[in-house]
Amino acid sequence: MLLAVVLAAGFAAVGEVDNVAVINGYPVITADPAAASDWYDTEAMYNLYSPLVYPDPAGGVRPHLATSWEAVGGDYTHWRFTLREGVKFHSGYEMTAEDVAFSMTRFIAMGKGNSGPLGEVTAQVVNDYAVDFLLAKPSAIFPDTLALFFVVEKDLVLENVDPNGSYGENGDYGENWLATHDAGTGPYMMTSHIPGQRLDAVRFVDYFEGWSDEGWGENEVPIERLIFIMETDYTTLMTLLRSGDLDLEINGGWTLPQLEGIDEDPTLDLTTVWAQNVTVWMNTQVPPTDDEHFRKALLYAFDYEGIVGPWEAFGNGETGILLPNMPGYVAIEPQPRQQDLQRAADELALSKYADNLNAVTAAFHFCGGLDFEEDIGLQLQADMAQLGVDVEVAGPPWPEYSAECGSAESTPNMTIFLFAPQAAPTHDYYTYSMFSPGGLGWIFEAHWYFEDQEIIDLLDATRAEADPVARLALYEQVQPLIADHALAFYPYQKPTLFAHQSYIVGPSETIVFVGPSENMHKWRINLELKEELRGS
Amino acid sequence: MLLFVGRRLFQSLFVLFGLSLLIFFIARVMPGDPARAALGFLATEEQVERLREEMHLNDPFPVQYYHWLRGLVHGDLGTSSYTRRPVTADLIQYLPATFELILFATLISAIVGQVTGLLAGYFRNSWFDGLSRLISYLGIATPSFAVAIFLLFIFSQVLDLAPGVGRLPIMMTPPPRITGFMTIDGLLAGRADIALTALKHMVLPAISLAVIHIAQEGRITRTAIVENMQKDYITLHRVHGIRTSKVVFKYLLKPSIIPTVTVMGLDFAFLMSNAFLVEMVYMWPGFSRYAVTAMLNKDLNAIVAVVLVIGLTFALVNLLVDIIIMGLDPTVRLRRGGG
Repeated sequence: MLLAVVLAAGFAAVGEVDNVAVINGYPVITADPAAASDWYDTEAMYNLYSPLVYPDPAGGVRPHLATSWEAVGGDYTHWRFTLREGVKFHSGYEMTAEDVAFSMTRFIAMGKGNSGPLGEVTAQVVNDYAVDFLLAKPSAIFPDTLALFFVVEKDLVLENVDPNGSYGENGDYGENWLATHDAGTGPYMMTSHIPGQRLDAVRFVDYFEGWSDEGWGENEVPIERLIFIMETDYTTLMTLLRSGDLDLEINGGWTLPQLEGIDEDPTLDLTTVWAQNVTVWMNTQVPPTDDEHFRKALLYAFDYEGIVGPWEAFGNGETGILLPNMPGYVAIEPQPRQQDLQRAADELALSKYADNLNAVTAAFHFCGGLDFEEDIGLQLQADMAQLGVDVEVAGPPWPEYSAECGSAESTPNMTIFLFAPQAAPTHDYYTYSMFSPGGLGWIFEAHWYFEDQEIIDLLDATRAEADPVARLALYEQVQPLIADHALAFYPYQKPTLFAHQSYIVGPSETIVFVGPSENMHKWRINLELKEELRGS
Repeated sequence: MLLFVGRRLFQSLFVLFGLSLLIFFIARVMPGDPARAALGFLATEEQVERLREEMHLNDPFPVQYYHWLRGLVHGDLGTSSYTRRPVTADLIQYLPATFELILFATLISAIVGQVTGLLAGYFRNSWFDGLSRLISYLGIATPSFAVAIFLLFIFSQVLDLAPGVGRLPIMMTPPPRITGFMTIDGLLAGRADIALTALKHMVLPAISLAVIHIAQEGRITRTAIVENMQKDYITLHRVHGIRTSKVVFKYLLKPSIIPTVTVMGLDFAFLMSNAFLVEMVYMWPGFSRYAVTAMLNKDLNAIVAVVLVIGLTFALVNLLVDIIIMGLDPTVRLRRGGG
C-alpha cells in the first residue's frame, strides 16, 4: 500500500538533453596528484591536471606543459625542462617554474602515489620558464617517467596547508585539501568531490591546448559538464546505460552477454581504448615449477584458442611480454598460439618430475571473485589432467592473495594478474619493472627469477639508452631471452571496452596507457543526436 | 528508570571495550598488508615500509592498541587507508544514508508485519491466515538481494514506476547537508520536491530490506495473538461484552507485540551490517558498502570503527527495546525497578 501511495506520484525525469556526460569510473579516492595512485585516480588526474609530458600514441612521450627537455652534462643525472608559456591554472594565475619545482619537491617528499618510479629527485628553478631536475641515480628514461607527474598551483596549495600534518614544517602539504579540491591546469575544473562516490567538474575554457573543432564532426561539441560516478554492479550499470542515465562507462567490466547486448543496441557503442595483459606467473623457486621443462609443459598444454572462444569478437587474443599494439612487440612461444599436448608431454618427460607425475600438484591461485581468472585456471586444470598432472585451483580474496606474493616461498606455483599499462613508460613497466631485480617486485615479479645476467644487463641498458629507437631495439632483443625461461604464460590480451551512448564521440587518439583515454578533452558530445535519441 | 538506563549504558561500555579488543586483534591477523593497500601498486618497498612505521604496524600489538585507544578518547578513529580520510569523516558521510534507509525499512516491516500478524492470528485458520503463511515462508526464504533485483527489474525497468538507483537522480543537486538524511535535509532547505524524490528513491531498496522482516514479524505477531486469545482474561473481557475493537487493540495487541518489538530491535541492528547487497544493487552510498569495502581492502581503522558502530547500535537499540517493553509490560517495569 505504501509502495502504491508513494509511486502514485510518479517519477519526474530531469534535464535529458543537457550538455553533460555521466561517466562511470573506478572510485576516485583522492584528487591530489601527489597521492593519486594506479588507475583508480588517474582518470581524474588527466581531466583536472596536466602532466609535464604526455604519452604519445607512437610510444614514448611528447611535449605538454614542457615544450622541450635535455640532459645536461651527459650522465643523465641532470635534466633541464623548458616550460610552455601562458598556461593558466583554474584560478586564472599563470604557471611558472616555481609551480613545477614545488610540485616535484612535494611529490618526492610525500613519497606516495606514482612517485616511486622517479627515485630521488631535487628540483631547481632556472628562470620563470625553465626548471632543472637533479637525480640521485642516472636515468636516460627520466622524461618518460614524468607522464604521471602533474603540476599543482604552489600558492593555492600553500594557502590550504594543515600545519598538523606528517611532513614536518610543510604540515600536510595540502594533501587533505587537495583530496577534494583542485589546483590544476587541466581541461576540466572540479566543482565537488565525494571521495569514492562522485566527482563533478566543468569545462575550463582557458585550457592551454584550446578547444579546436578541427577533426570533429559538425555537431560534435566539447562536453561542458562531467559527472563521474563510481559503481561496480554491472547489472545496475546496464540498466542506467539503457535508460540513458549513464553516458560513458570506462572500467569495462562487462560480462559477455552484456557486451553482446550493447553491441546489438543501435543507440550504444563500444570503443576499444587499450588492452590489458593477462599474465600467469610461474614461480621458479618452488616445486614443481622450479623446473624449466615443467613450466614449458604448462605453457604448451594450455588451450589458448579454447579460452578466447567467443571473446575473440571483442578483441581478446594474442599477446606476449608487451602488448601487440605496442611498438617493439615480439611474438613469443608458443607459436602458433595453440595447444600442443605432444610438445607438453615431451617437456614433462624431460623434467625432473617425469617419474612421479602422479604425485605432483601445481597450485594455481587467482583473485577471488574474478571469474575470467578462474576460467583460465579451470582450463589449465583440464588441460594438464590429460597429461596426468593435477592442478589445484583456488581463489583467495585479494588481501590474502596479494600477501601470498610477498616472498618466493609463499607464492603459489602459478598466480594470475591483469596488468594494465599503468606506469610510465609503458615499455619499461612491462620489461624492467617485471623482470629486473631492481623492478617492482611483489605481484609484478611473482616468478622470482633473476639469474640470467644477460637479461639483467640488457634491462639495465634500456634505462641507460636515451635514444628511443635504440632503446626499442633493446626491448625487441630482450623479449625472446625472457620468454626462453618460461617465467609466465599469457592466455590473452583483454581489451578495455568503453561502452557509451552513440552521441558521445571519442577518443580522438588511442594511447596504450591508463589515463589519457579518459581525458575528456579528447571526447565530444553530439547534442542533436542526444536530443533525437534521449529527448523527451 | 534512569538508574536502569545508566546501568545498562555502563555495561555497554565494557561490551564495546571487549569488542574493540577482539576486532582490533582479528583485523591485524587477517592476511594482507594495509600499508601496501593504502599506497597502491606502484609504491616502492621503502615507501611501504615508511607508512608501516607511521601506522605503528611494526609495533607490538598492545602498543598499536594503545595508540588507537588514545586516539579514540580524543574522538579520533584514525585514518582510513582506503579513502585516506579520517574514519570519523567517512562514518559521518555514510551512516546517515543507511540509517535513513533502514529506519524506513523498519517502519514498513513494523506496520505491514504487525497488521498482517494481527489479522492472521485473529482470523486463525482462515484463507487470509493461509495466504499470509505462504507469503511469509516465501519472504523468509528469498534473499534480500534477489528481492532487490526483482523489484528493480519490474518496478523500475519494465513498469518505469519507480526510480532505480541512488538517493536522488544523478542530475539533481542534493540539498545542503545538515542531518545527512536526504528527506529531512530537503525539507529543511525548503525543497519538498527533493524530500519527495528522496522518499521515492527509498521505496524499492527499503521494501527489499523489509520483506524478510515483514515475514518474520508477521509470524511472531500471529503466534502471540493466537496464544493470548486463548488466555482467560480475554475470554473474561468478551463475556463482559466489551467491544471487540477494544479487546483487540487494548488488551490483545499490547502484550502480543512485545516479542515482535524485541525482534524488530535486533532486525534494525542486523540491517546495519547486512544491507550490503541491496546497497550494491541500488547504488546506495551507505555504511554497509563502506564496511565491506573496508574488509576487502584491509582498512584496519575502518574495520574496527565499523564493528564498534554496529556493536554500539546493537547496545543502544536493545536498550531502547527494553525501555519500550517496560512501557508495554508493567511486570517487566516492576522487575527491573523502573517504578
